Amino acid sequence: MYKTVKTLLIMLLLSFSLSAQVCAAAAIEINTLIEKSQAFDGQTVTVEGEAIGETMLRGEYAWINISDNTNAIGVWLKASDAQKIASFGDYRHKGDTVKITGIFSRNCTEHGGDVDIHSHSLEIIERGYNKPEEITQVKIQAALVLSFFAFLTAYIYWRRIH
Amino acid sequence: MQCGDTMKNNSMLYSDFLIISYYTGYIVLGTALLMAIPITTALLLQEWNPFLDFVISMSISLIMGFAMIFFGWKTRSNAMRVEWKHGFIIAAISWLVLMLLCSIPYLLSGHVNSFLDACFDVMSGFTTTGLFLTQDLDHISVTLNMWRHLLTFVGGQGMVVLALSFLLKNLGGAYKLYVGEAKDIGLVPNVVGTARVIWKISLIYLIIGTLALWLCGIYIGLAPQSAFFHGLFIFEAAWSTGGFAPNTQNIMYYHSFPYEVISIIIFVLGSLNFGLHYAVWQGNKKELFKNIEMQSFVITSFLLCTFAVVKLAQLGIYTDAVTAFRRVVYNVLSAHTTTGFNNVYALQFAQEWGDFGILMMVIAMLIGGSACSTAGGFKGLRVGIVCKALVADIRKLIAPERAIKVYKYHHIKDCVLDDGTVKNASLIIFCYVVLFTITTALGLFFGYPLAASAFEAASVTGNVGLSIGITTATMPDLLKVQYILAMYLGRLEFISVFALFANIIGGLKNYVQNR
Repeated sequence: MYKTVKTLLIMLLLSFSLSAQVCAAAAIEINTLIEKSQAFDGQTVTVEGEAIGETMLRGEYAWINISDNTNAIGVWLKASDAQKIASFGDYRHKGDTVKITGIFSRNCTEHGGDVDIHSHSLEIIERGYNKPEEITQVKIQAALVLSFFAFLTAYIYWRRIH
Repeated sequence: MQCGDTMKNNSMLYSDFLIISYYTGYIVLGTALLMAIPITTALLLQEWNPFLDFVISMSISLIMGFAMIFFGWKTRSNAMRVEWKHGFIIAAISWLVLMLLCSIPYLLSGHVNSFLDACFDVMSGFTTTGLFLTQDLDHISVTLNMWRHLLTFVGGQGMVVLALSFLLKNLGGAYKLYVGEAKDIGLVPNVVGTARVIWKISLIYLIIGTLALWLCGIYIGLAPQSAFFHGLFIFEAAWSTGGFAPNTQNIMYYHSFPYEVISIIIFVLGSLNFGLHYAVWQGNKKELFKNIEMQSFVITSFLLCTFAVVKLAQLGIYTDAVTAFRRVVYNVLSAHTTTGFNNVYALQFAQEWGDFGILMMVIAMLIGGSACSTAGGFKGLRVGIVCKALVADIRKLIAPERAIKVYKYHHIKDCVLDDGTVKNASLIIFCYVVLFTITTALGLFFGYPLAASAFEAASVTGNVGLSIGITTATMPDLLKVQYILAMYLGRLEFISVFALFANIIGGLKNYVQNR
């Protein structure tokens, strides 16, 4: 009996500690952070999103911006952490998907009132990649035909004014 | 007799069409040639999809422009004179035609949900508003970004000004076209010369401003090439008081105080009258202190910034000086100059600034910058004139009955404050207020709160570009159309658009009567 109760208690404790870990690691949407900025202000939060643009090195630290399709936010982190990101999202690239855990500020006193996250840890969830351009034949043909007519009208105009 | 009148009317209507078509054609042609810039960008950066998008758009625009010129070819022989109504209608109609043509690259890029959204973004660019419905802005090509910012830069100087400067030489009715685009200042005796001076001023600032932002961009950690494009785009948006930025976070993307300071300097300069710039360039530095618009801008900016800073400090939002400057003064000045750059989230305006903060922003957005600048809103000149007229009326009331005094105001030169000037200024302010009220009411109709509706309405009416969160791709189509109309009316200051509507209604009336 004593053993059964002990096992049950250990299982219960384990399940609680696991669920607590899940809560801490569960990513919050960036828009929710901004919407409920007062509640999250000064709290440790985890966000997950695509690194966009580029790293902006500022001495031993750096700024990156991440976007999770609900909104985008600036992350202040160690330059060494920022260098782990290989790909930033832009026209040609899908950026690395990163998980950031850090302190959220709705009015960061260190950064002139910025809404930002001071990162404690950065984890690469998924590597980004190059996005090849897909050009359709229809677009090429349309461009050729329309350019021909544009040159034709320009030629007629030139003939008329001379 | 009646038949003779009808024929005469029809012939006049036809000749009106020819004149309008001819000059609008040239304005379309000017914009088509402008597409050579994104095409070159695409070639240099090897962005082939955008390259084809712009080749298609440029070809369609060239064909359309030449077709309109051919249609109105008789105008070339100077047989037909450009009248005031033509100037107004050409300005109004060319902005609509250009909105449709310039939307094509947006649509082909696949970054807009509909043609209406593309038109919204183009009108927002042309009118230097800065609101956008383009999706996934962080992944659009540099070429499309070049186009977005180019539109707002050219829109700030005026599409007609562009055509007058480079395409329409020795034009008879040039001044009428120029005034049609809500610019009525003569910097030099010749209107084409004035248009060129406007461009010269803008291009000189373009070089200085881009260089400053480029160097600052490198300093804050951007790669040199990227810093150049960011610098160019932010300059174009700041100088034209446009408010577009290459990333969704707008100015928040840079996390930099120096970058914000440089952008403030540029957008404040951009919101000043071209006449004032020219006077200062000619060595008349006293104009900076004497000009009624400068006085009006300094007073209203100081009051609005002070009230907003005090209230937000009282609410415990921004309590220290640096934060108050960066988050409050920056945004109030951005609203007042009708730029629309923001370094706080739209949601923050709604949730943190409170009703008083929003009211300050609405007032700032409605007043706007200077007349004959790139800014929107009532304009400081009109606010100054109406305030001076009010003071003059009070003085007249308390002065002895026999005393006759002429009241004056200083705008480039000393001008008499007559009833006509006061009436014109009051009428335009009245039109803005009516447009603002209708736009706010429509927002309320669709279920948005009053403060949010008023904020967004002031932003579109004053061509500002700040958003409190209403402007999204999912907002009702009717509201998008109303916002497009508000941006268009606000930028052309009503008269040209009214002239266009009056002529359309008149033409329809004639048509019905003739039948």
